[in-house]
Amino acid sequence: MKKDVIFTVPSYFRDDMNIMGYRFGKGEKSCAVLGALRGDEVQQLYVCARLVAFLREVERDGGIMPGKSVIVVPTAIGLSMNAGTRLWAPEETDINRCFPGDAEGSTTEQIAAALFEKLSVYKYGVQLTSFYQRGSFIPHVRMMETGRQNPELGCEFGLPYVYVRAPRTADQTTLNYCWQHAGTQAYSLYAGKTQEIDEAAADQTLRAIIRFLNGRGVIRSEQTMGQKSTVITDGDILSVSSKSAGLLRRVKHAGAHVRRGEQLAFIINPLDGAVKEVLKAPVTGMLFFIQDGPFITEHSPVFQVLAT
Amino acid sequence: MAILREITDIASVKMPIGETWTVSRCRYRSDDGAKGRVCLATGIHGNERMGQLVVYDVARRIKAQPECLHGTVDIYPMLNAIGLDISERMVPTGTMLDMNRAFPGVQDGTALESICYAIVQDMKGADLVLDIHTSSQITSELYGVRVHERHADAMISGAAALCPEVIWVLPDKPVHNASLCGALTQEDTHAVVIMVDERRLRAQMVVDQVVDGVFCKLRELGIWSGETKTAPAIQSIPCMWDEKDICRVTCRRPGMFVPNERNGSEVAAGDVLGTIFDALEGEPVETVTAPESGLVFTQRRYSAVYPGTLIARLCRKERA
Repeated sequence: MKKDVIFTVPSYFRDDMNIMGYRFGKGEKSCAVLGALRGDEVQQLYVCARLVAFLREVERDGGIMPGKSVIVVPTAIGLSMNAGTRLWAPEETDINRCFPGDAEGSTTEQIAAALFEKLSVYKYGVQLTSFYQRGSFIPHVRMMETGRQNPELGCEFGLPYVYVRAPRTADQTTLNYCWQHAGTQAYSLYAGKTQEIDEAAADQTLRAIIRFLNGRGVIRSEQTMGQKSTVITDGDILSVSSKSAGLLRRVKHAGAHVRRGEQLAFIINPLDGAVKEVLKAPVTGMLFFIQDGPFITEHSPVFQVLAT
Repeated sequence: MAILREITDIASVKMPIGETWTVSRCRYRSDDGAKGRVCLATGIHGNERMGQLVVYDVARRIKAQPECLHGTVDIYPMLNAIGLDISERMVPTGTMLDMNRAFPGVQDGTALESICYAIVQDMKGADLVLDIHTSSQITSELYGVRVHERHADAMISGAAALCPEVIWVLPDKPVHNASLCGALTQEDTHAVVIMVDERRLRAQMVVDQVVDGVFCKLRELGIWSGETKTAPAIQSIPCMWDEKDICRVTCRRPGMFVPNERNGSEVAAGDVLGTIFDALEGEPVETVTAPESGLVFTQRRYSAVYPGTLIARLCRKERA
């Protein structure tokens, strides 16, 4: 294992922030795995840390295939993680809205540019990411529909779903989108929770990356059987949104199979406890996403149901 | 002749505890059947409050001379009302998203997406939308008009009527397309960003300059018949057509930055823009100088800096 400093952000008040890359093997730039780009992506950091520990053992046992290499970047935002802020604190910006970056630009753009320069030379790119809303997903692989996406390859992670999503305007500055345009086969993995460690989802995500690396001939290691993946698109997902605001009391959780009309959550008046709204499943299917905050505003997506 | 004044809620979202986030519009409309319509929006970023004073003064002038209005002026003062209340740039619900990266929004989307959608739907079709922003706490900006590249040819000469100190053509990049101005441009509605300096000690003077420009533009569009200042010739306004017209000056060292006040002045190569110091060592660590000559139209104020922090933007003299 080689430790590379990908980029350093010197700080006046604090220690310098070094963005570290952990490199395994030599030769073809086969796969890059990136963890936290936001200060609250704890689960993403955790999965990467465990992946580094795993690959260290694989390398020790000669399991990195000749002529192949992997790099893991657990976090690009350690300074904000230490300070407890989601965004890049000095400029209050989202690094994942600054790609492909600008080496001569702001600090955020420089971070994005340094990451992009280092990681876009890899054949496959895996980003462990969080959703722009608070909540939990069924672990899945996601990619944007850029015309260059390869969902069949995404099935090699062995997760139950590969979600191909139509990009919105704001998505065009994300790593996944820019990676694909630079020629890297890019996949985003949603690893359950974000702000806390979810051991089961972390295990599942870690196994998926190991499976992919084995499947692509990058490493040779013990692996578990994956599931047969189903490729889904926006049309397969139905959103259940709130019509009221208040406290959100969920009775179903991500992954639950629900029947059409089944109760999913109650929105409660936060002052008198009265039930303002009962959210029900619009179709029979599986809960793909749940909003897990205590409060809910009006018109907010609370669940995403994958119809069966 | 009278004007009709009407306040309408164009979008609202109920918050968890007894509050509604409402986007309201105040419409001033003449009763002479004139069709022209200009929208003034502000408060997308909650830490930018100078727009409040701009639209307040616009409303005051309209009400003082109602007979001079011939058309519609729509004012949207508080797009990110919760952010404005706590002086937070982002929308302080959920995961702190930048409202100006969420346009054009989605009709049945999240609270933020549905509000952005409603704003665009309400403004599209106007003759002109002015999206008023103010410089942040840590930068000082000349009064500028920023025009989207897609409409630049059609709008540059008209932008002069706003009497700005500089005009800047924003490139057709995804980051700009997700802004209010970018989303309206996609809808073929002319929209520009107005950048107002938030130098509080001279707030009224800065605002007067912008409000004078707004009325000058309204007059050009035939919406205002009252006296206004004379619009400058476009040739007299430094205009940055693309990124090559701008010299960005950044620093190399972290520390505390103390500016030499240069904004609005021409500098020569080597002129000092400010100094970075280290209080622990008690030493200056970097003197930031202009790498070439030009007009300073953005300058960093006293603040902490990192390597790469923008210290100044210069409009390149020879291309102005």
